[in-house]
Amino acid sequence: MNIFSDIEPFMLRAFAVAVVMGPLCALLGVFVTARRMAFFSDTIAHGALAGIALGFLLGFEDPTWPMVLFSLLVAAAILWLKEHTDLLTDTIMALLLSGSVAFGIIVLSMLKNKRGELHRYLFGDILSVGPDDVWLAVVLCAAIGAWLFTKLSPLALLTASEDLAHVCGVRTRWLNYAFVLVLTVVVSLSIRLLGIILVTSLVVIPPAAARNLARNLRQQIILSLIIGLFGGAAGTVASYHWDIPCGPAIVMACIAVFIVSLVASKLWLNKPAST
Amino acid sequence: MTHTTCSHSAADIAVSVRDLRVTLGGQAILRGVNLHLHRGQLVALIGPNGSGKTTLLRAIVGLQKPDSGDVRIFGESDLKKALPRVGYVPQRLALDRSFILSVREFLALRLRETQHWFWHRKRDTDDRLRAAMAELGAESLLDRPIAALSGGQLQRVLIVFALLKNPDLLLLDEPTAGVDSPGEESFYDLIGEVHRKHKLTVVLVSHDLSMVYRHASWVYALNGVVCCEGSPEHVMNADSLKEAYGLNVTPYQHHGHSHGPGGGIVQ
Ligand SMILES: Nc1ncnc2c1ncn2[C@@H]1O[C@H](COP(=O)(O)OP(=O)(O)O)[C@@H](O)[C@H]1O
Ligand SMILES: [Mg+2]
Repeated sequence: MNIFSDIEPFMLRAFAVAVVMGPLCALLGVFVTARRMAFFSDTIAHGALAGIALGFLLGFEDPTWPMVLFSLLVAAAILWLKEHTDLLTDTIMALLLSGSVAFGIIVLSMLKNKRGELHRYLFGDILSVGPDDVWLAVVLCAAIGAWLFTKLSPLALLTASEDLAHVCGVRTRWLNYAFVLVLTVVVSLSIRLLGIILVTSLVVIPPAAARNLARNLRQQIILSLIIGLFGGAAGTVASYHWDIPCGPAIVMACIAVFIVSLVASKLWLNKPAST
Repeated sequence: MTHTTCSHSAADIAVSVRDLRVTLGGQAILRGVNLHLHRGQLVALIGPNGSGKTTLLRAIVGLQKPDSGDVRIFGESDLKKALPRVGYVPQRLALDRSFILSVREFLALRLRETQHWFWHRKRDTDDRLRAAMAELGAESLLDRPIAALSGGQLQRVLIVFALLKNPDLLLLDEPTAGVDSPGEESFYDLIGEVHRKHKLTVVLVSHDLSMVYRHASWVYALNGVVCCEGSPEHVMNADSLKEAYGLNVTPYQHHGHSHGPGGGIVQ
């Protein structure tokens, strides 16, 4: 306890959010990467910028809710366009990503007193993590984490094959939407910490590093959770110690694990081949 | 042994399809399909590429919404109640190589799809999976990532998956698509064996007419509609089939049969 006493409270809050959101993003990320939804996650993160700008425009002091809502809107737009047009998913997402960024920047540039916010949301700012954000993160993490664990099997089956999942009685449409909803909420709430530009890395890098070492899905999930937790914790601590921005520190911590895992897997995989 | 569709009572019917119509991309693919599959039979579904065989199976299990028509499985029109009795092996399974699910995990998903398999690894589950895999001669694949399997290996795993919950109806959509030609014949023998041992109704989509002769008790030739049905001898000799295929069908031809462009793409 006393080690924490001389650490500033904002740092503790950032640490708390990081160790909660890190594993959660990493767990979601196992399915995001396997379902090729990394770009999707990036798009909804960028969609948040338009939400933030709109929130300020409408006079919100704290744009969290407009941010989450607009990200959800972008997610819904992707799904709708995918179903009702012949456009490629990549095209749809590139369109919505650049559209929401452009909209957000224009609105923020018009609001003279909010121009500084752009930098803050693009790159993340632990100073902006308030006590309410900590509670929100903890409660959300508990709820979403519990939901994810009860849905691991249907999600794994859905990822392997939607058709087989359907025949096995999984309500695939519903589960798809629920997954997108959960991903959107988690990603947009992690923006505070990592920033719009880097937030997807917390979803992508831990499962990728875990994939290097794992031999089955269960191992990948466990390793990914651990790496997400480590990345969040090590990143915030490093950020405090060396006075570097928190988001990039978390990302670099995850990248370091990724490199180690890659090297380890190469050494590891070479063994059975040579014998 | 000749069958007449009307002499059987409703309880004998495994699948009944009435006037099923499906349009895909503005094209009428199924134009009023009628089928009554009897319980316990191994039924072959044949037809040229694009004749709607896959679409028909997908419509039966609810993966394809029909424009109109009626599908009943064991007399049940509510799919939610019928599906637990059905095993389905799709024609293609687009598995992402980056998805690291092992065969063991994949099969466990079938056994406990509503609970999470995460923390438990029960001995009896393990035994059950090993026995099920051994039946198809694929025991050694249990700890391989499913995305790394060859076409033939994957088909075996998919059949094991479909059989795990002891279904009463097994739908196989070109199960030999990924199997190399020498292995094909023994693969069909394996399916015939599964059919006999598990006493289930099997619907098998196939290009391989010699297989149809050896294993099927009833044949449907599909081309948008059912253009011909009956015993293998009857259907194979029908002029309509020769027309539909545009080739001469030689009975009892076990080797050197020709394949449509759909066969044997996967190594
Ligand atoms: N999603 C789709 N959209 C448009 N056309 C489709 C779609 N799926 C299948 N088709 C078309 O439907 C026809 C029947 O396909 P299919 O049922 O797969 O035939 P088969 O299995 O007998 O080879 C084909 O001509 C195919 O091009
Ligand atoms: Mg087909």
